[in-house]
Parts: sequence; C-alpha cells; structure tokens
Amino acid sequence: MAENAVGLFARPELALSAAEELVDAGFTATELMSPVPVEGVEEVLGRNKSAIKRFTFFGCIFGACFGFSLAAGTAVLYLHPTGGRPIITVPPFLIITYEMGILFGILATVIGFFISARLPAMSDRVYVPEASVDKFVVTVPCSNREEFDRAEGILRNADAEEIRAIGEVL
Amino acid sequence: MSLVEQWRKSWEKYSKPGYYDEFDYAWTMSIDLDKCTGCEACVTACQAENNLPIVGEEDFSRGREIKWIRIERYWVGEYPNIKLGFIPMLCQHCDAAPCETVCPVSATYHNQDGLNTQIYNRCIGTRACAVYCPYEVRYFNFTTYHWDAPLEQQLNPDVTVREKGVMEKCTFCIQRIRQAKDRAKDDGRRRVRDGEVQPACVQTCPSQALVFGDRKDPDSQVSQMIAMEKSRAYRVLEALNTSPSVVYLKKVDDDAS
Amino acid sequence: MQAKVNPVGEPLQYADVNRDVIRSLTQTGRRYYIALATAFGLTIVCFFFPWFYQLYYGLGAAGMNHPGVWGTYLANFIFWIGLSHSGTLLSCVLHLTNSTWRKAMYRSAEAMTLFSLMVAATFVMVHVGRPWFIHWALPYSNQMELWPNFRSPLLFDVMAIATYLTGSSIFIYMGSIPDFAAARDRTAGWRHHMYVLLSMGWRGTDKEWHRLGWAYTFLAVLIIPLAVSVHSIVSWDFAMSLVPALHQTIFAPYFVVGAIYSGTAGIVTVMFVLRKSMNFEQYITEVHFDNLGKLLLALSLMWTYINIVELFTGWYSGTSAEHEALKFKLFGYYALLYWEMILFCAVAPLLLISTRFRTSLVPMLILSIAINIGMYTERFLIVATSLSRQYLPDAWGLYVPSLVEISILVGSLAMFVTLFLLFVKIFPSVSMYEVKETMGAPGREFPEKGTELWPKTQ
Repeated sequence: MAENAVGLFARPELALSAAEELVDAGFTATELMSPVPVEGVEEVLGRNKSAIKRFTFFGCIFGACFGFSLAAGTAVLYLHPTGGRPIITVPPFLIITYEMGILFGILATVIGFFISARLPAMSDRVYVPEASVDKFVVTVPCSNREEFDRAEGILRNADAEEIRAIGEVL
Repeated sequence: MSLVEQWRKSWEKYSKPGYYDEFDYAWTMSIDLDKCTGCEACVTACQAENNLPIVGEEDFSRGREIKWIRIERYWVGEYPNIKLGFIPMLCQHCDAAPCETVCPVSATYHNQDGLNTQIYNRCIGTRACAVYCPYEVRYFNFTTYHWDAPLEQQLNPDVTVREKGVMEKCTFCIQRIRQAKDRAKDDGRRRVRDGEVQPACVQTCPSQALVFGDRKDPDSQVSQMIAMEKSRAYRVLEALNTSPSVVYLKKVDDDAS
Repeated sequence: MQAKVNPVGEPLQYADVNRDVIRSLTQTGRRYYIALATAFGLTIVCFFFPWFYQLYYGLGAAGMNHPGVWGTYLANFIFWIGLSHSGTLLSCVLHLTNSTWRKAMYRSAEAMTLFSLMVAATFVMVHVGRPWFIHWALPYSNQMELWPNFRSPLLFDVMAIATYLTGSSIFIYMGSIPDFAAARDRTAGWRHHMYVLLSMGWRGTDKEWHRLGWAYTFLAVLIIPLAVSVHSIVSWDFAMSLVPALHQTIFAPYFVVGAIYSGTAGIVTVMFVLRKSMNFEQYITEVHFDNLGKLLLALSLMWTYINIVELFTGWYSGTSAEHEALKFKLFGYYALLYWEMILFCAVAPLLLISTRFRTSLVPMLILSIAINIGMYTERFLIVATSLSRQYLPDAWGLYVPSLVEISILVGSLAMFVTLFLLFVKIFPSVSMYEVKETMGAPGREFPEKGTELWPKTQ
C-alpha cells in the first residue's frame, strides 16, 4: 500500500480541522479514526448518506411477504381444517407476517451495515491502536514523497501530537 | 388436473365458512339425562374398547385419571332435600373446537366426518389443547402406563396404545366408524346405515340413554330424538360458541313447578 | 456529585476506561472460578439431572395433573421471557431518546436479555411431553409434507421468540464491535485471536462510525415493536383460551408491563452484583439506581392498575365462572401467594417514592429481588389458579409443584448465572465507547462546564 501519513491528535476539534485542511488541499481519501464518534465529521469528509435504510426497508418488505406466504402457502398445501376457521385465517397469519418482516428487516440491516462499512476487513488496512483508546487519528494515503511531505506539513501545523508514517517507505 | 388447479379447487371449497356442512357425515350423540342412571357402564366400556391406561391408585389420587367419558356429579340443595345430578361428559367434537386451532404441530383437526380427531403420532405434548378445551375432556399420558398381566390380553387390537407425553380423548370410537365405512364401501359405495356403527359407550348403556348417529340424515334416530325432544335439548356451555356435536336432553324434574 | 477519579487521583480519562474494562476481561481471580464452578455444578445437578429423569419417566415426574396440565414449567418460561424484556427494550428506547444514563449499563442489560431468552428456550423443551419431536414446531419441508399450524398462538410464540433471540444477539453484537476492537488491541494469545475475529477489522473510521450509528438506530427502531409484540404473543397463549380467568384482552398489556417491570428489577440486581464484583463503582453509580428506581415505580403503578382492572372486570362481568375464579384467586388455596405477590409488587415498591431509598444500593437490591419473587409468583398464579377453576365444577382440581419442578427452577437460575459469568469474560460488560461519549473530550477540564458526566439527581 502507499505510505500513509498518520497524525495523532489529543482532541477531536483539532483532528477535525486538520482533516478539513487536508481535504481542501486535495487529499480526498482522508480518514478520521476515533474511539468515539466525532460530531461534524460527515460534513467535513463528505460521507454520503448511508444505504442501510434501503436494506432495512426491502428486508422488511421481503420478510413480510415471506411470512405471509409461508403461513398461507403451507396452510393451502396441506389442508388441515381446524376449529371451523377458514383455511387462510388472516389475523393469525398477520402476526406471522409481522414477525418475519421484523426478522428479515433486522437481518437485512446487519448485512447492509457490513456491506456499506466494508467489514470484515479481509486485508490489512492502516490502523493505529491508540485510535481505540483516547487519540483522534487522521490518516492520509500518499502516493509519493512530495505528497507525503505536504500532508505532514499540514498535520504539523494543526498541532498533531505525533506524526507517523505507516506503510512502505517512499 | 394440475397442482394449481387442485389448489384453486381446495381453496374455493374451504375458504367460505360453513364448509363443514359439505362433509360426508356429521356424527352426533344425544344423551338423555332422564334415562341416565349414572351407572358408569359407559366409562368401563370405553376403557375396555379404547385401551385406556390404568393409571393406578397413586396417580389417580393425584388427579391424573384418564376417563374419556366421565360422569360428573353435582349436588343440589341441602340435607334433607339433596338432589344429585349427573351428566356424562365426553369430547363434544365441537365444530368450532378451540382445541384444534391451538395445536402447534397440527396434531388435532376436524376430519371429513365432523369428528375432532387426535393424531397420537404427531402430538408433542404441549397440552395447550387441554387448557383450551372448556369441557376439560382431554387427558394427558403423564407416563407410559402398563397393564398388569393378564390385563394386557384384553387390549383391543384395533386401537393403538399411547406412550407418555401424548394427549388423548374420546374419538367416538373412530375405529368402529372406520370399519363401518369400509364395510359400506365394500358393499358398493352406500352410506353407513343408521345404527350400523355405535361407539362402545352407546352400545353398553343399559338404559339406552346414549344415541349415536348422523345428523345429516334426517331419518336417523339421533336426528329424530333431537327433533322430538326439542324442548329438552340443549348443549353444554353453548354460550362459548363451540358448536358441540353432543346434545343433552334435560332431565324431567317431577318436583319442579 | 463527586468527580470521577482514577486510582491515582486524577480525573477519569479515556485510557482509564479502557484499562478498567479490559482488565475485567483478562483478570480472573479465584472468586470468579469458584462462582463459575458452583453455578455450573448447580446447573448440572439441579436442572439437567431432574430433567433427564423426567425424560425417562414422563411428565408425571412433575406435579401436574388433570386439569392442572400446565404448571411451573410454563410459569418459568413466561418468567424468563419477561426478564428478558427489559434489557434490549429499555436499551433501545433509551437509545432513541438520547438518554445518557443508559450508557454504562446497557451492555449487561442486553446480555441479561439474551441469556434469559436462552434459558426460556430450554424450558420449552422441559415443558412438552415429547421434546424429542420439538423440531416439528419449526417450518421445514419434510417427507410427511406436514407444516406446523400457523393458526396456533404457540406457533406465533415460536416465530416471535426466534426473531427476538436473533434480534437481541445481533443487537448486542453490533453494539460491542468497537469494544471488541479495543479489546483486540490490548490482549494477547487466544483472547487476541478471538477478538480479532469478533471485531471484524473495525478501525473506528468516520465512515464505520457513521454506518454503525445508523444500523444501530434502525435496529433499535425495529426491536422496540418486536419486544412489545413478543410478550403480547406469549400472553395470547393464555388469552386465546376459553378459561374464565385467562380469556381477557388485558393480558397483552398485562404481560408486557409485567415483563418490563420484572426485567427492570432484574437489571437492578445485575447492576449491583456487577458493580461489586468487577469494581465498576466509577461507571455504575447511584444515578443509575435512581433512574432505574423511578422507572420501577412507574411500572409498579401501572402493574397495580392493571391488576385492579383485571379484578374489577372479572367482578363486573357477573358471570359465575369469573366470580368463582376471582374468589379462588383471592381467598382460595393459593391466597397466601396472591397476597404475597401484592405485597412485593404493588405495596413495597411504593418505597421508591423516596429519593433516599432509590439511591441507597442495598435496599434497592433487596427490593428488586422481592419484586422478582413477586412477579414469579404472579406467573405461577396465572397458571395454577386459572386452570384450577374452569367452567365445569366437577373438573376443578389443585396443582402442587413437585420437587423435580422446584429443582429445575433453581437449576435454571444457576444456568442463567453460568451464562452471565461466561459473558463477562468475553464481552466487555461496560460499553467503553459510550462511557467515553459521556465523559467529554480528553484534554479538557473535567468535568467541563455545561456537560455533566452523569445527570444529577433532581
């Protein structure tokens, strides 16, 4: 992978302003790693709205259809008159529909999360263990030395506590 | 006929309420409480015919008796004006049976003869049907009961024996009904004649208080009984809308004004 | 409220949170092993051995009879599902209302939900007469071409609980991914490998946080109606019967309120034990008990109201069957249990009106255990008193639980404790990132003006 300029910050606002500067300077693949979600990062780094809600919605619809067809289909497949009720009894089958709708909505949300967050990580990605403890980390992938120096300069100006280089040394 | 055609036909037949009226037979029993003496011969006959387990003294005293038909006793009044009323209570084979809808594995259903059937092999023993039955006529095998020798020699080979964990109840002696229908079929697709099939309790009752037959046949004895004694005829717990198939004829009370 | 300090006296920092919580994962003392061995041993001896005997002999090993065909097994099932309701449901509701005091305790509460559900699922197998055929209740295509009866309330149960189990496990897992990543960084050996797998390569980038936040919110939105529906469906096992004391529409709200009630009391108990045993005094404070106490009070009042409604409508109906059922419930064979339930669940929680009571921890623990005893009695009474008095007086009976049933109840509690003890060593039992969210950013004065660490008691 290309060399990554990594800046560790002690406070989220500093990291956020550093990231903003980096994006303005043309480093669009900047990432901000943090132990807690940082307010205002979506506007700075331009993350698009998640596609998860579409997964949830279609999951629920699919689940509801599946639930009702499971209940009604099996009732018609093997006729089993009980209690004088019609073969396709709507109130009980609606409950099955509801439960299956929620089940598939939940499963679809999880799948949607993994797909849109691109997890699980199959290959090594740039990571700093302090990011899960108390440091706010800005990472910038750079393809050549000149970019790396520029990025490093921006990070230094933004009061980074520590600057590291991760990846191949250029 | 393709699968879809079959489905459509079945769906049309069963989707409207009252589809039971199109069934082949509608087995009904009428119990004349005026003639019933409470002798419990029906209880014994049922036990003999249907391989009812003998639960033993200890389990009986714990309340685990299995009696597909039982004589309920009700004391009315104070001494010295006590009256004892009794009523044989058996599975009412309700048309709107609450027990059928609740079985999660479909072990009980309403068959083409209008009987509420219990499929022992499918039963997993949730006992919800026993809770849902307002007449409390469903019994559970709390363990695999055994018959001491030589009682096992008198078991009826036409009826299965039930293992532990299975619900059972009165079947209107479905084995006899099945045999009668088979005989009728062998004789050339005629209907079962009235009086040709009698459950064990009906057959044994010494005062002929129990009458069994097909209420779809207006000439059957049971239909005529119900029609003639309309003023006395009632069904137990009718307000619960279970549509039972057992009709009771009220006892004629000489003292009542 | 004193400011939080770490052992060296400085204000609590992010690093301290990581250290404390991960230490609870890696450091196991002898006390833990003794507790785990005891719980596991009790499970084997009190749950599995009597159950195996029952499998051999039949359900006659329990005290059930005719008409009391349902007994403590079903009451236990309802109790454990009820206990499961608070964790995830409360966590979801409080997440959507952006409450801060939920942050430290919701992980353990959700774990409580998950394990209660698992214990409840085992009771299904203990309860049925032929558990080796229990798979017939699941919809799968088979040679017999038979499907389960979807019109049955018991089958709604199967679907609902399967969904709730799936949903709860997914919910607790998703919320723990960032914590697994933190644990991955600080552990070694087999633990490290386990957390590498569990954390799925989580790095904490802005995109991952954004996606997790949305997924978590959607899950919370889906799980709230699910949880309400699950216990309503469980109540309909009873309410759809024709038994006079059970056939009431109040059952769905009754059970849901009762479930949240007993579940919240369970959370109080678990919080107390966790706080003591894992040294989480900094994270689980009086404020949590205060807020849980307020919630318990509200639920207790609702529960009392519903009981009054049930009694009133039963009496007002005028039917002899209902009157007899009510009379039996209040003054019959089980009357002592009924009034004990009223005392523990309706009268004693009125103590929660006092703030001093709510913030004193040991009284809260005692009250929460008393509430759960009362709620268990309620479940038992629902089963036992209703089946004893149905429409036909000749079929009235009495049900007394047998030793096997009592032992299995104790064993189920031990099973729950075993599962929970295993949980605290695998999942970080306090959510690190959520606690950090409430702490205010590092490097500032602590606690900074305008942001309180924990909401003050009113």
